[in-house]
Amino acid sequence: MSAAKTPRAKRTIGQLIKRLLLLDLFKGLMVTFKYNARALYEPRDGGNPNQAIYTEQYPLEPARVSERFRGAPRLNLDPENGSTLCIACDLCALACPVDCIEVGSIRREVREGEKVNKKKVLTTFTFDTSRCMFCNLCVEACPTDCLELTQSFELAVYHRAGFRWDREMLEKGINYVRYAK
Amino acid sequence: MQSILATLLFVAPDWVVSLTRERRPNAFWAEYIVWPVIQIVVVLFIVLTLVAYLVYLERKVSAFMQARLGPMRVGPWGLLQPLADGIKLLLKEDIIPLKADKAVFIIAPIVSVVAALVVLAVIPWGASWATIANVNIGLLFILAVSSVGVLGLVLAGWGSNSKYSLLGALRSSAQMVSYEIGMGLSIIGALMFARTLSMSGIIDAQRVDGMWYFFFQPLGFLVYAVSALGETNRAPFDLPEAESELVAGYHTEYSGFRWALFFMAEYSAMIVTSAVAVTVFLGGWMLPGVTGTSFFGLFGPISNPTLHTFASILVFAGKIMALIYAYMWFRWTWPRYRYDQLMELGWKWMIPAGLANIVLTGIWYVLALPKSAGGVFGFMQEERGRIIPTKYAGIFYFIITGFVVTIPIVWWLLVTINRRSRDFNLHDQRQLQMQLRRERLEKMLQEQPRPAETPSQ
Repeated sequence: MSAAKTPRAKRTIGQLIKRLLLLDLFKGLMVTFKYNARALYEPRDGGNPNQAIYTEQYPLEPARVSERFRGAPRLNLDPENGSTLCIACDLCALACPVDCIEVGSIRREVREGEKVNKKKVLTTFTFDTSRCMFCNLCVEACPTDCLELTQSFELAVYHRAGFRWDREMLEKGINYVRYAK
Repeated sequence: MQSILATLLFVAPDWVVSLTRERRPNAFWAEYIVWPVIQIVVVLFIVLTLVAYLVYLERKVSAFMQARLGPMRVGPWGLLQPLADGIKLLLKEDIIPLKADKAVFIIAPIVSVVAALVVLAVIPWGASWATIANVNIGLLFILAVSSVGVLGLVLAGWGSNSKYSLLGALRSSAQMVSYEIGMGLSIIGALMFARTLSMSGIIDAQRVDGMWYFFFQPLGFLVYAVSALGETNRAPFDLPEAESELVAGYHTEYSGFRWALFFMAEYSAMIVTSAVAVTVFLGGWMLPGVTGTSFFGLFGPISNPTLHTFASILVFAGKIMALIYAYMWFRWTWPRYRYDQLMELGWKWMIPAGLANIVLTGIWYVLALPKSAGGVFGFMQEERGRIIPTKYAGIFYFIITGFVVTIPIVWWLLVTINRRSRDFNLHDQRQLQMQLRRERLEKMLQEQPRPAETPSQ
């Protein structure tokens, strides 16, 4: 059996030059230099993966959340007359798997044009954010698009009572402390 | 040459001389006491502030390279961050480990920072009056004193009485000692052209020769740059403080201001190595058309001496900052070497390259000497007691030999030396091993009587 030498894998001229001039090292250097240069002139847009700087300066600028993010609840108002859209049907409370919603209502006569109808009217609406798991089932149950989970996520409070949001908080939203730059 | 040195030795400006009410030729107080003290205060203030802001710059550069913002909260763009850091470090509790060797533990950072700061005395920060001490062995002084810095690290590692510190110190001492050799060898090629060890003298020699020594000595500069990275313990050679392995290396047990002293020493060492590189290879404070020489005879250097000196300081600082940016750039781009790779790079690549560069430069230099002095090509001429390359022909000759002849020869030499080295040639080595094993197997098969049937594979 002849000891035929298997030819060593031959390098092309290009590969040889690449090795001699350490081109891979310089390629790496160019990548970091490009990032450095772009960071100096590009307008900053925190959280945008196409920008050279990804950092969001969160308390100074609003944080980006995903479009389908579910955060703080809100009771929407009728944009025409400012009255609540809630018809006190209690469907959200029934849909809630952790029972964190309590809807309080009374039946009373409501004048609508010329007629006077007896209707269920919303009095209180309590939403316990400490028990809520933001599953969105209540929002899907709502027939009037009144209840909604917004993109706001700053729900931390100093004591447990703060987790119980009443109707006013749900309609107006909570006041956040905004740190100016 | 003598006359140049004589003019460089007495540099105190007139207002200092008039302050001490002395006459020019023997203005002892002005030349040796008052003016140096002013210079020392100014240089220390500027360098220490610069060190603080280099930390800021390092954080910013690293952040930008990693798509982050870096310090932003203290002052506009985080510009007061160094101040906040300094105050924090000053206010921190001074912890000395119980089992540490207290005296050594305290002395170590002082040794380290003194070794780094003393060297600032001989660096030519600018033309005429901007050098503190114009020592005629300035370069030797820098190389000698900066190697005392190793002692600081070793003492720190020993005195801390901690395994991480000791390992870091051992690594760093071995590394710095081996890279110092390469560093010293790489400079010698340029010194052959300069024929002086005085820092100002080297810059002046580049002015007279009409070319920065980077162009005559590209390989020397390369070896110097790599060795300087190793010498200052910066990435990719930052093994002494390899975070992922050694916690923080030799300063693991240090905190507060003692730690800050080590940090200061590291960044001052960066400034010093960059300054030496700028002085020896990149023309020091000279920039054609602004300081030193005219721009190809089109417009000359600034004629006002005061303005000229300030411009020269700015040029020198600019060159240093460019090199320091390169330091940071490398640190945040390249991964760390393994320890054996580091040693191999130092001993098998940098030192042979430095030695070969010296030999080859010597050969090119002797060949180019004027014919009266025994040369062959006659690309050099004598001018004011110095042998300099002739305009354009000689300069061109040295650039060509430096770039086109020396580098390929040295590269071939290094490849020959490191043919069998396992670490820098992984693919080739594996192929070679596989081939050797194949040959061995085939030989064995040949020797043995072949079985009647080879088993099917």
